[in-house]
Amino acid sequence: MSAERARSTRRFAFAAGHRYWVEAWPAAENERVFGRLAVPHGHNYALDVTVEGPIDPRTGMVIDLSELKRLVEEAVVARFDHADLNADPLFRGRVPTTENVAVAVWELLAPKLGAERLVQVRVFEDPTLWVDYRGGAS
Amino acid sequence: MVELTRVYHVSAGHRLASPALSEAANAALYGPCARPHGHNYYVEVTVAGRPDPVTGMAVDLAALDAAVEGAVISRVDHRTLEAVPELAGVITTGEGLARAFWRLLAPAVPAGALRRVGVVETAKNRFEYEGGAR
Repeated sequence: MSAERARSTRRFAFAAGHRYWVEAWPAAENERVFGRLAVPHGHNYALDVTVEGPIDPRTGMVIDLSELKRLVEEAVVARFDHADLNADPLFRGRVPTTENVAVAVWELLAPKLGAERLVQVRVFEDPTLWVDYRGGAS
Repeated sequence: MVELTRVYHVSAGHRLASPALSEAANAALYGPCARPHGHNYYVEVTVAGRPDPVTGMAVDLAALDAAVEGAVISRVDHRTLEAVPELAGVITTGEGLARAFWRLLAPAVPAGALRRVGVVETAKNRFEYEGGAR
C-alpha cells in the first residue's frame, strides 16, 4: 500500500558570531566590500528543517520528530550554538553569509537524513532576513 | 541556487474601490475596506542566486535594499496608495499590490533574480505573487 506523502518542519535556534571576511583580501578591501558586515558581530539564528516522506501507516508520522531533533541538535546546533562561525572548518575559504550557512547546514544534514527526505533548510539571520536552500546546483 | 527573502515595512493608507463600480456597489462589494483606512504592511522580497565563490553572497543586500527602497518603499511609505502615480489604476488589494510591487521591482534587480513578492496586510492576510501567467 502506498502511503500519502507530507512534509514536517521543525524549528531550531542557535546564537553565533560571524563576520563577512575574505582571508585573501587586505582589510581595507574587506571593509570596502562588506562595510559593517566586516566587523565581528552575531545573531540569534533560527533554522527550519523540512523533511518529506510517506506518512507511515503504523505511526502516522513522516519522521519521528524526536529523532529529527536529536539529529539536528547533534549535527548543527551543538556545532554552531555560541560558536564563531568563521573559525569553523566548514567556513574555511567560505564566507559565513546567510546563504553559505544554509548550504553548510544542508551539507551537515543531508548525509544523516538522506537527500530524498531532506527537502529544505531555511536559515533566519533575524526575523527580517532568511535564506532557503533545497540542495543541488539548479 | 539559494533563495533569499528580506522583509521591509510600509505604513500606508488605502481603500478598495473599483472604478468600474458605483460608490454603492463598491460599498456593498468591499464592505469596510471601501472606507479610507490603512495598514502596517510587510513586504517580503525573495530573490534567487548562487552564492559567489569568493564573497559568499548570492545577493548584495545593500544593493537589494537600495533597489527596494527606490522602486517601492519610498514611493508608498506614509502615502495614500490611491494617490501614488506608479499605482495608477491598481485596485490596492493585497494581491493587486503584490503584482504592482513585482512590476516596479523586477527591472530594479538583476535580470531574472526576482522570485516572489509577498504582501502581509495584517497578521491574518498575506498575498504572494511570483510573476507571469501560470
